[in-house]
Order: sequence, then C-alpha cells, then structure tokens
Amino acid sequence: MDTTPEKIALSDLDKEQMKTFSDFLLSYNRLSEMCFTDCVRDFTCRDVKESEKTCSLNCMEKYLKMNQRVSQRFQEFQMVASENALAMEKKLRK
Amino acid sequence: MDMSQISPADQAKVQVMQEMEIEMMSDLYNRMTTACHKKCIPPRYSESELGKGEMVCIDRCVAKYLDIHEHIGKKLTAMSMQDAELMKNMTS
Repeated sequence: MDTTPEKIALSDLDKEQMKTFSDFLLSYNRLSEMCFTDCVRDFTCRDVKESEKTCSLNCMEKYLKMNQRVSQRFQEFQMVASENALAMEKKLRK
Repeated sequence: MDMSQISPADQAKVQVMQEMEIEMMSDLYNRMTTACHKKCIPPRYSESELGKGEMVCIDRCVAKYLDIHEHIGKKLTAMSMQDAELMKNMTS
C-alpha cells in the first residue's frame, strides 16, 4: 500500500508525457497537411517531383523557424504581462 | 502564495483553474501561430530561411494578435458584467 503515492506520481508524469507526445503528433499532422497543400498541386503523375520535395522540406524548415520566432515574441509579451501583474499586486498591497 | 491556509477543496479548484489557463494559453498560441503563418509566409518555398520582411511581419503579427486578444477580452468581460447586472435587476 505504501507504493500508492509513487504510482500516482508516475501516472501523472506519464499523463504529461502522453499529452506532450500527442501534441507533437497533432502538430506533425498539421504541418504535413499544410506543406502538402502548399507544395503539391500537380496530380498528372504519380511520382513526387524533385521540386515538390524541396518545396515541402523548405516549407517544414521555414515553419519551424517561424514557430521559434513566434515563441520568442510570445515569451517577451508574457514576461511584460507578468511584470505588470506583479507591479499591480504590489501597488494594491500598499 | 501560502497554500497551508487554503482548504483542500479550494486548492483543487485553484489547480483546475491553473490547468484551464495553461490549456487556454496553448490554444491561443496554436491559433496565433497558424494565423501568422497564413498571413506572413507566402506559400512559395524556394528557400528555407525566413526573409527579412517575413520576420518583421511575424513580429508585428504576434504583437497585434495579442493586442486584439486583450481588447476583445476586455470588451467581452465588460459586456458579460453588463449582462449579469441586467439579469440581477430583472430578477430583483
């Protein structure tokens, strides 16, 4: 019985990891859908053309770089927002 | 925050609220990323680097998106407060 808390902690961690993994899978699906839609327009032949392949790979790489930039800017905004909230709280406590 | 003075029920409530906030934030983030990608990255992938104009566009897009989000949030709270007030007046 004394192992129960450990088990719960582990399952919580597991849940979090599963959530991260499923988020990753979802974004992977979304990314491949997007790049496919943007890059593959010709359905007169079965084979993936070299240009379609480079386009898709560029699309993916560019998306990741864009995501990185968005995340940086988002963090900056959040930092400012939490600083403002902290300042407000201090002001109210006085 | 001193958690020892808060009852377990309230603690659970706070935790659920925090989880909801995280969920909401990640949803906001995903939507913003999709929106700014659509608006700033033209679907011609001749190279994998971000162009200068694209970078500036992304920065502005994020800033504007969050501004609009805040504006709408404020308006929405104001409106729902007004609604609640109206309901209170009608029932009393």
